[in-house]
Amino acid sequence: MTELDFSELHDELRAVAADLLGKEADREVGAPLLAQAGWTGLEIGEEFGGAGATVRETAVICQELGRAAANSGYLGGTVIGVGLLNLLQPSALRDRLLAEVAEGSATVAVGVSAEDRAVDPAWTLDAEGRLNGSVPYVVDGAATWLLAPVTGPDGALVVAAVTTDAAGVTVENQPVVDETRSLATVSADRAVVEILSFAGDPGVGLATVRDRAYLGLACDSLGLAEAMLDATVSYLGVRQQFDRPIGSFQAVKHACADMLVQISVTRQLVGAAVAAIADGDPGAGRAAAMAKAYAGEMAVQVAGKAMQLHGGIGYTWEAGVHAYLKRATLNRALFGSPAAHRLRLTEDRR
Amino acid sequence: MSDLGEFRERVRDWCAANVPTDWRREQATVTESEFVAFQKVWFATLHQAGYAVPHWPAEWGGGMSVAEQVVLYQELAAHDAPRLVLAFVGIHHAASTLLVAGTEEQRQRHLPAILDGQIWVQGFSEPEAGSDLAALRTTARRAGENFVVNGQKVWASGGAHADWCLLLARTDPEAPKRKGISYFLMDMTSPGIEVRPIRNAIGESHFCEIFLNDVEIPAANLVGAENAGWQVAQATLGAERGMTMLELAERLGNAGFRWLVEACHDNPDSRVQDQVSAFEIEIAGLRGMCRELVERSEAGTAGAADASIVKLFYSELLQRMTDFGVQIGGVRAHTVLTKPTSSGWESGAWVLDFIGSWEWTIPGGASEIQRNIIAERGLGMPREPSVQ
Repeated sequence: MTELDFSELHDELRAVAADLLGKEADREVGAPLLAQAGWTGLEIGEEFGGAGATVRETAVICQELGRAAANSGYLGGTVIGVGLLNLLQPSALRDRLLAEVAEGSATVAVGVSAEDRAVDPAWTLDAEGRLNGSVPYVVDGAATWLLAPVTGPDGALVVAAVTTDAAGVTVENQPVVDETRSLATVSADRAVVEILSFAGDPGVGLATVRDRAYLGLACDSLGLAEAMLDATVSYLGVRQQFDRPIGSFQAVKHACADMLVQISVTRQLVGAAVAAIADGDPGAGRAAAMAKAYAGEMAVQVAGKAMQLHGGIGYTWEAGVHAYLKRATLNRALFGSPAAHRLRLTEDRR
Repeated sequence: MSDLGEFRERVRDWCAANVPTDWRREQATVTESEFVAFQKVWFATLHQAGYAVPHWPAEWGGGMSVAEQVVLYQELAAHDAPRLVLAFVGIHHAASTLLVAGTEEQRQRHLPAILDGQIWVQGFSEPEAGSDLAALRTTARRAGENFVVNGQKVWASGGAHADWCLLLARTDPEAPKRKGISYFLMDMTSPGIEVRPIRNAIGESHFCEIFLNDVEIPAANLVGAENAGWQVAQATLGAERGMTMLELAERLGNAGFRWLVEACHDNPDSRVQDQVSAFEIEIAGLRGMCRELVERSEAGTAGAADASIVKLFYSELLQRMTDFGVQIGGVRAHTVLTKPTSSGWESGAWVLDFIGSWEWTIPGGASEIQRNIIAERGLGMPREPSVQ
């Protein structure tokens, strides 16, 4: 497909997503709707009922979900979850999970903590091959399946799969200020699991999952910042003070110009990261870290400025700006702070 | 290997063989005439290779694809080639003006001459017409086959060495201010022209005042129609911004970032390293924006504020980076009293680079004007009501 075809396809996807998300007044977009729209199955192979698309298309959906500040399980279940499933060796269970996720009858949560940039396996298998451990801050942890990266009996990294209603498995919701995201502490105590293996190098596989998480958050931050700039510019054009629209004051419009500049820079960094991950570029990790660091900070600044420029109205619950600002601050923290991602670049210079 | 890959190899080989080694050290202490000679030799060297005016149409000696131009400027920056300082206005602004709005005779007269080293200066700004350029007061009065020009221009970069000047002057004092301006090509050897260098904040004198006292310009040197000069200037001013910004961004990402990494290399403070990484990210974003601007300009899909976004971000990033270099360099950085001529805006002479960065945030549309443009043309925000 040429770049142009891609861009047309993405515009269409974007329009459909914006339209669909615009109808969900309470920002709640459940798994059935995601599957019905074909979004959970975007990157799932056609043989399993998916669309056989790429991370480029997933990135479009992430951006639109950010724009709508939608409460969906997309980051944990699709960006991270399907990303991991696609890296595993074909097996009856893996294939079944892909098919069920595509149709919306199952959801998966990858048992990694979003507290840090690193996603080190935090689970253990005991002598009988049962899963033990507890991982906090699992994004969209309240899924029907847990996929736990764990060191296997032969020392290689594998993935332990178990339903979250199985004996020994608990999922405890962890409320956060941002009500549009769901985090959970997921624990296993001698849970009986099925082992899935990576198709390629497990270390590289886990790094890819991690980079996808960074990218998903960067896209989300970009989308929410775009929404905040749009809303702000539109409000400033109608709100009158001193007998003129407040958007005609330079102090106000210069702030909006700065928001657009920051968003333009972010678009470049996110675009580069999407391309690098889609192409399997060796520089994908760096590109994703750059996008995550910059987009995370940018969105907080843009949403914060949006609240300021909306004035008193912007500080009300009703206006909804708060939801974006809270989501932006959580996006910034999830899977590593901007400083943590910049540290990776610093280490590369050593 | 792709054609573009082969082209990159060719440019790399050429740079390895032709970029003068040690020019930074030598150019730190040269006289004005040695600087001019160095610039002319470097221009001729580039021209011989076909690298001086790659953006011109093939019939005039250019014809390089946009993708190849991007590669060329990336490699020139990566090999730390000297910048074309003196030829800049000629190969960019003068050429685009002639190609867009000039007559065939004017093109024949000047484009080959520019390739032979003719130097141009821009005579736009005036003491009373800075950000509000259309308020310019220099007059050009019709007298038979000539126009007679009187007035004063300022901030004419390279004016002391210029052979020709792109001049905006008022030909209809009664018309609304944007409708009474004409665009001229002025021979700098004409009687009645006096050029006085202005010493700038870092002690250099490339900016000049140009005093015009009954200077005669043949009517044949009018570009576009009489009183349509503002439109000509608008059509040609931004024409080259994409590629010239790309070159500057590549230089900031190569030599500029290298100086910063070197200066900070042994610094144990993690906040310092964090800031260097932050700059690395911003440079990556800037380079991406420049490539996109170039591609969209070529395709005719660039947004009305895209060039302003790039200019604003570049100039303020340059200022923040050089300020950071000054802080890292400590007192010792203040003992570097000269910077090499022919270098970019980041020479590693941190204090001079930092002070010199205002030459980016003020001219060519100050940052405040750029923000107005971005808000009004990029976001469609309401204009400020004009004072009655």
